[in-house]
Amino acid sequence: MRARLLAIIRAIAFIALALILCGIIFEASGFSAPDMFSAILDGAFLSDGALIHDLRWACPLFVSATGVVVAFRCGYFNVGTQGQFYLGGVGATVAVALLPGLPAVIVTLVAILAGIGFGALWAFWPGWLRIRSGTDEVITTLMGNFIAGLLLVWVTSGPLKDPSGSGQVTSSPPVPLAIRLSTDTGVSVWILALTVLVGVVTWVLVNRTAFGVLGGLAGRNPVMVTWQGARLSRLGLGAFLFSGATAGLAGAMEVLGPDGRLVSGFSPAHGFTAVLIALVANLSVSGSVIVALFFGGLASASLYLPVIAGLPSAAIDMVNAAIALFITSRAMPGWLRLPRRNRS
Amino acid sequence: MMDLIVAVLRTGTPMIYVAMAGVLAQRAGVWNLGLEGLMITGACASAVIAEQTGSVALGLLGAVGFCVLLSALLWLVIEKLKANPIIAGLGLTGLGLGGTDFGIQAVYGSEGAVTAPAGIPTLGPAFGPFGVLDALVLAMPVMVFGVWFACRRTRFGLRLTASGEHPFAARSVGADPARMRLIALLLGGVLAGLGGAELSLGGLDIFSVGMTAGRGFMAFSAVIFGAGHPVGATFAALFFALVEFLGIKAQLVFGEHAPRDFVLMLPYIATVLGIWISARLRGGALLSAIEMRDG
Amino acid sequence: MSAALACDGLTIRFGAFTALSAVSLSFAPRQIHAVCGQNGAGKTTFARACAGLLAPSAGTIQIGGNPLRGGHVKDARAAGVELVHQSFALPPSFTIAEAMEFGLTGKRGAVFTRRGLQARWRGHLEALGVDAKPSTRIRDLPVETQQAVEIARALAGDARVLILDEPTAVLAPAAAEALFERLKRLRDSGVTVLIILHKIREVLAVADTVSVLRGGKLVAGPDDAASLTAARIATAIIGHSPAPAGDSAETAEDIGALVGTDLPHGHRHTLTGPRSVAALTGVTTRPGADGQSLQNITLTVGAGEILGIAGVEGNGQRPLVEALAGLVPLTEGSVTLDGATVTDLPLAERRKRGLRIIPFERNTEGLSLSSPLWENFAARSLLAKSALSLIDPAALRRAAHKAFQSWDVRFTSVDNPARSLSGGNAQKVILSREMDAEAKLIILAQPTRGLDLGATAFVWQAMRETRDRGLGLILISSDLDELFDISDRLIVLQGGRIAGQFAPPYDLGRVGSAMVGEH
Repeated sequence: MRARLLAIIRAIAFIALALILCGIIFEASGFSAPDMFSAILDGAFLSDGALIHDLRWACPLFVSATGVVVAFRCGYFNVGTQGQFYLGGVGATVAVALLPGLPAVIVTLVAILAGIGFGALWAFWPGWLRIRSGTDEVITTLMGNFIAGLLLVWVTSGPLKDPSGSGQVTSSPPVPLAIRLSTDTGVSVWILALTVLVGVVTWVLVNRTAFGVLGGLAGRNPVMVTWQGARLSRLGLGAFLFSGATAGLAGAMEVLGPDGRLVSGFSPAHGFTAVLIALVANLSVSGSVIVALFFGGLASASLYLPVIAGLPSAAIDMVNAAIALFITSRAMPGWLRLPRRNRS
Repeated sequence: MMDLIVAVLRTGTPMIYVAMAGVLAQRAGVWNLGLEGLMITGACASAVIAEQTGSVALGLLGAVGFCVLLSALLWLVIEKLKANPIIAGLGLTGLGLGGTDFGIQAVYGSEGAVTAPAGIPTLGPAFGPFGVLDALVLAMPVMVFGVWFACRRTRFGLRLTASGEHPFAARSVGADPARMRLIALLLGGVLAGLGGAELSLGGLDIFSVGMTAGRGFMAFSAVIFGAGHPVGATFAALFFALVEFLGIKAQLVFGEHAPRDFVLMLPYIATVLGIWISARLRGGALLSAIEMRDG
Repeated sequence: MSAALACDGLTIRFGAFTALSAVSLSFAPRQIHAVCGQNGAGKTTFARACAGLLAPSAGTIQIGGNPLRGGHVKDARAAGVELVHQSFALPPSFTIAEAMEFGLTGKRGAVFTRRGLQARWRGHLEALGVDAKPSTRIRDLPVETQQAVEIARALAGDARVLILDEPTAVLAPAAAEALFERLKRLRDSGVTVLIILHKIREVLAVADTVSVLRGGKLVAGPDDAASLTAARIATAIIGHSPAPAGDSAETAEDIGALVGTDLPHGHRHTLTGPRSVAALTGVTTRPGADGQSLQNITLTVGAGEILGIAGVEGNGQRPLVEALAGLVPLTEGSVTLDGATVTDLPLAERRKRGLRIIPFERNTEGLSLSSPLWENFAARSLLAKSALSLIDPAALRRAAHKAFQSWDVRFTSVDNPARSLSGGNAQKVILSREMDAEAKLIILAQPTRGLDLGATAFVWQAMRETRDRGLGLILISSDLDELFDISDRLIVLQGGRIAGQFAPPYDLGRVGSAMVGEH
């Protein structure tokens, strides 16, 4: 309990440090830091409808973050969430395009499964390269993000292009409303149910299965579990596939939910934010719920800033990045360190 | 053939400068994933300062200054706050990408691009096809030699390598590994700043948001591909540049039959292949495993 | 004449733990001074403090009469103090010449050519009898040569005080003799030598004076070695700590083995039966990452037997354990376990058939230090289940708690990380996991390395009890005293082959020559 409290205080302290750094940059660029932060706060939590927007962004972010929690716990830095998320969106759109005329429920179900499958597939190859030959997964998954981004551009401007579409951003034709999980608000019973389901499944997986405990041990010390007879390749591949599947599901949720179509370059900060949520939550599934709501708020603020407040939306990217810079710090600034009890 | 050499040198040089920053950091024991962020910061700062002051020299100086500052920040976070170097590096990259985006919007509104009045001085038309090569391209071999010499032929280089490979050994002979890492990161900041400046001021003299497009990560991969050796990393970066060039050539030749998006993927795929090959040859780099392990 | 090195009230604390407490010592120049004590007595801490690697929490160190700023390696080295670490501190990718160079200070030679560097050090290495080319990489050297290179590195500057931390731990008896001769020559040429040792036999063979540390305190010395007997030093080392449990004859031998006074002779244990629990037949492996391999190894372990494996480190001990564990592919031969052939089975299947391993590296291979104790304990039982089977963490915590209590582990909570335990208690956690009721063959690789007297005696007692229950045990150790004391049979590995088989009473001379490949 004490350790958990300490972790929370630590997370808050380093988020504060990150915000101070951002404040300095805001001021240096000629903005007023207090104005900027109050605009962010408005956009995230205080303005009309902000809480609904928050939930709309928090749900897919949480779904992706649960996969990051599992992969990172097992010791694999799968930072390819963005690419797996994109592939999930592509999978869902392909399913919708290939199954015209079938009952809506079946199409939705198949589209969700296709999203999960495509996402898992995009995590499979870096996982395979990592496990078979030790190819570093940080680089392969990052490169996977760039490749997936280009694939998305190609798909939306080629095979899945909306013929009636115009303008700079290409997209697929709209998904029929009957197939969708929600309207443009992005908050519906189905979206919430899916999110809760993923949360519960991941919580059980992490905290109540042999996989969860052994994966945690393997993440901290793969050598030790090898001497216990574990096959790291199975644990590792399982972790990769699970994280890819959740990111893919999140991508399908975006396409079938609030977006209602596959848009080129949609939610460009999704993957990074999902990784960040998992890290800020200290790789805890239950902690990720609250942290996802916080970052969901920031995500909705990044739309609010340019439209309502006339401020650059990149401010939110900076806040996120600065938090990432500090959040894994183990040392505590002296003034925050709690008095140490004597060891018995 | 001439235009191939020229094009590969021009595309490869920014990555080579950044890769040398990665080599120094890797030798000192830091896997610097912030290179992408440093590179874009260098590219942005040099273009903006050149545009504002009209001086390319000040632009270069500003790029170096910003990158040194960010490198020092990364060192503080890794060394003093004991953050995970991989995540902190990715955070720095995000800060660079987001910060330059923010800065451009703050100064120039939502256009997302800056045009500098001039670029880095070039050889000039007297040199035929090589006339487009600028000072930083020409200085590149000297710089690579310098990094190689410092790493392999000086006591400083031995201590730098010892700090990364066996910090306790370095400490035992009185070298301070944390200090060596600071030196390596600051020197790397200088090189990464120059690499970023070459990216924006070495060709079209334009900075646009997100223009590095993963080249910093490719430079990082070149360090792995080149096994931490300056010359090896240089050739790895040139290889990535060659792949990019061949892709563009293929598109010019085959037109519609070589879809643009797939051509653009080639350097990323080459990077994956590169680190896969180096993992097969030398056993994996496994940086994340090193970080997570007990210790 | 002022002391070469002196310390006054030297105290070193790590957090709440006091590693050295008010040690005052003065070493005369041009002598070999032994500092001895059990594991955990503070010997290494003392050596590192004298070399400037650790800053004293209190007290002072003087070198040649001048005070040393605590924690400043550069100052200590400038004053001529050099330390040779127990596990050597040379970057493995360096060539010998580079390893000589990287520690030097001063302007001269800061920039070099490869050939110039090798030429610079060839003479120095030859003068010190280092038999290797300066262009050879450290990782390609055998341990004795690595040690010689490290000593040569220490002497590359103007060393006046040479400190060696447990230099004999990695050496065969003959190589240790050669090291002692080398140190005596250095002494005669004017160097003051401080040597950290824990075997009394070796202390008496090399030292001019003897000092003894126990529990971080100086309990004796420096005394003239000529005036001391093995028994007196042993008493000082062990002190009045409670005698380990067991019958008195075993206890006496155990104590002898712990401090290495005289060699224990080993007592013949009557085997409970001829049944073998494990056998290797003609086993050959490919060289592993460290270049070691097994060559045509055939051996059996009987039920109710402790089979000792002796040998200089790096002569096939690790591949032997990995071959038994199924962690290294065999090129030839077969492995049987409890009567069944398991050559092609993975470790998980072998564990189901009763194989248990206490691996070489307690803190990396045996435990996950940052994971909770209960997870470390539960790992073995969880691996017997399918990955997605549901577990009850509360029950697993209770099981761990119970097991730790019955193994006398000192712990506060099963939720604490394994890092929170001392070495002895950490080893007990591994024993409690690996010495369960279903075990049939237990491999113990260096099970007492780094443990103090009480914990070592505990491990030995546990081994004897397990043997008496009819299990087969394989004990791999680099400590001949330990092997002679506890093994029912002894096999010597040399160059990946079996170089000799011995039965009690063991003869040090014959075992020693088998270890270095002389027959």
